[in-house]
Amino acid sequence: MNMQVNPQELTLDPAPLLSVAGVSRFYGERIGCADVSFDLWPGEVLGIVGESGSGKSTLLRCLAGIDRPDAGQVLFRGGAEPLDIYSVAEQERRRLMRTAWGIVHQNPRDGLRMDVSAGGNVGERLMDNGARHYRKIREAALDWLQRVEIAAGRIDDRPRQFSGGMQQRLQIARVLVSEPRLVFMDEPTGGLDVSVQARLLDLLRVLVRDLGLAAIIVTHDLAVARLLTDRLMVMKDGHVVEQGLTDQVLDDPHHAYTQLLTSAVLTV
Amino acid sequence: MTTMIHVENVAKEFTLHNQGGVRLPVFDNVDFTVAAGEALVLAGASGAGKSSLLRILYGNYRPTSGRIVITHAGRPVDIVSAVPRTVLDIRRRTLGFVSQFLRVIPRVSALDIVRDPLLARGVSPEEASERAKAMLARLNLPQRLWELAPATFSGGEQQRVNIARSFVDPSPIMLIDEPTASLDAGNRDVVVGLIAEAREQGSAIVGIFHDEAVRESVATRYLDITEFRKAA
Ligand SMILES: Nc1ncnc2c1ncn2[C@@H]1O[C@H](COP(=O)(O)OP(=O)(O)OP(=O)(O)O)[C@@H](O)[C@H]1O
Ligand SMILES: Nc1ncnc2c1ncn2[C@@H]1O[C@H](COP(=O)(O)OP(=O)(O)OP(=O)(O)O)[C@@H](O)[C@H]1O
Ligand SMILES: [Mg+2]
Ligand SMILES: [Mg+2]
Repeated sequence: MNMQVNPQELTLDPAPLLSVAGVSRFYGERIGCADVSFDLWPGEVLGIVGESGSGKSTLLRCLAGIDRPDAGQVLFRGGAEPLDIYSVAEQERRRLMRTAWGIVHQNPRDGLRMDVSAGGNVGERLMDNGARHYRKIREAALDWLQRVEIAAGRIDDRPRQFSGGMQQRLQIARVLVSEPRLVFMDEPTGGLDVSVQARLLDLLRVLVRDLGLAAIIVTHDLAVARLLTDRLMVMKDGHVVEQGLTDQVLDDPHHAYTQLLTSAVLTV
Repeated sequence: MTTMIHVENVAKEFTLHNQGGVRLPVFDNVDFTVAAGEALVLAGASGAGKSSLLRILYGNYRPTSGRIVITHAGRPVDIVSAVPRTVLDIRRRTLGFVSQFLRVIPRVSALDIVRDPLLARGVSPEEASERAKAMLARLNLPQRLWELAPATFSGGEQQRVNIARSFVDPSPIMLIDEPTASLDAGNRDVVVGLIAEAREQGSAIVGIFHDEAVRESVATRYLDITEFRKAA
């Protein structure tokens, strides 16, 4: 039988949203992350897993434009022309981070303005992006608070009056209101108790699917990775040791370290 | 008839790195094809590798060597070498996997779980609801459970939600691993009927069934995978 096989032909959209090539970051002699390469397409959710100190946050900061890598390239295709995010001017990179990207920090305090009301936290992002109409901004803020399940009556409260889970949901609303194409999350459910986590995870799962976001999510929790991600990258000592479809990597791990990681949990 | 699955020279061996690097050869040189409208039943003793082979067809396990050519949207694609998003697209439109276990998603109701594949394929929400309800009713899931999340359901109830989800809109290829394992006779017959209907509508079926009566009524062909055991 002679069959033509060409998976690339089926590609729905021709170019990746993010192309990462050879990204490395060193802290003196110590490796933060080394020689990481991958492509991310619109609508894809990539998980990064690995033990503490394996370089997950370092890599995420390099990808998100927060921390310049010592080597390698991060190309973002927001418009027609791909943009090398570390070769453009600082100002241009900041604009990109504000309009096309969103960053969800592990600690909501790092992503929220604690002295500004919940509605203000959400509305501020819209104003940053040029919205000026007060009533429309307030309506959008209200809509997003409801989408992350914060009661409308809390719109004028400050984040410090919220529980940890609510603060995290508020941060997510603040990030998603400006409709980013690409979202970076570092342990978005870390530090929350299990029932609060489940609710947040379900919310994230639905939002990511409905908005068709591309996302990169750092987590040490394989169940979180299973639920939220399409693809998985496993890191150890700064290197990517295995990557592939999430269920492939978790169900049929090939690398010794991934086998150790998956056997250490009961069910994922 | 249209070839839907073409398996060529597939081998699988597990290497258990954390158990002294022991190698576990499962099978070697597996070759077969399945056409639309056929139901191939995999036979072989426990541990022979039936489930592993089914997972390889789904792109869940990675074979040590070989190709699995799937007819996807009219075109042949090797699922082994396909990039992740192509595999996901193949699963969304062409490949269904039915197991006895439901992967429960927190807070999602049984009805939404069953509606989901229809919505993903562009069916209107109203029609999706109608079809999902009809399927849950056919599998005798009490109506009071439809709006609840299955986390608290019994094993057999969860299993039926899973089957309803899989058969509400049968895929061109259905991979089925022991779907009737803990069902009573009545529900087992419903499942056998669903499989037969899917096949008559043109699905290509590859399945594993412990129950001999089920096996007999589903199979149009058998494949004993023991014959692919690697010569020691
Ligand atoms: N600012 C820094 N200065 C020096 N070393 C650093 C710095 N940030 C990280 N490192 C080191 O780089 C390595 C990777 O750290 P990173 O924070 O990326 O790990 P991680 O995988 O995110 O871990 P965790 O799961 O604990 O958050 C570690 O050895 C860490 O000590
Ligand atoms: N993820 C895995 N990692 C390591 N070994 C595995 C894995 N999955 C299956 N195996 C091994 O492969 C062999 C075949 O298992 P498989 O589940 O495919 O058999 P089976 O024919 O479906 O058996 P049963 O009828 O009992 O379900 C077994 O020895 C099993 O232990
Ligand atoms: Mg970290
Ligand atoms: Mg089995």
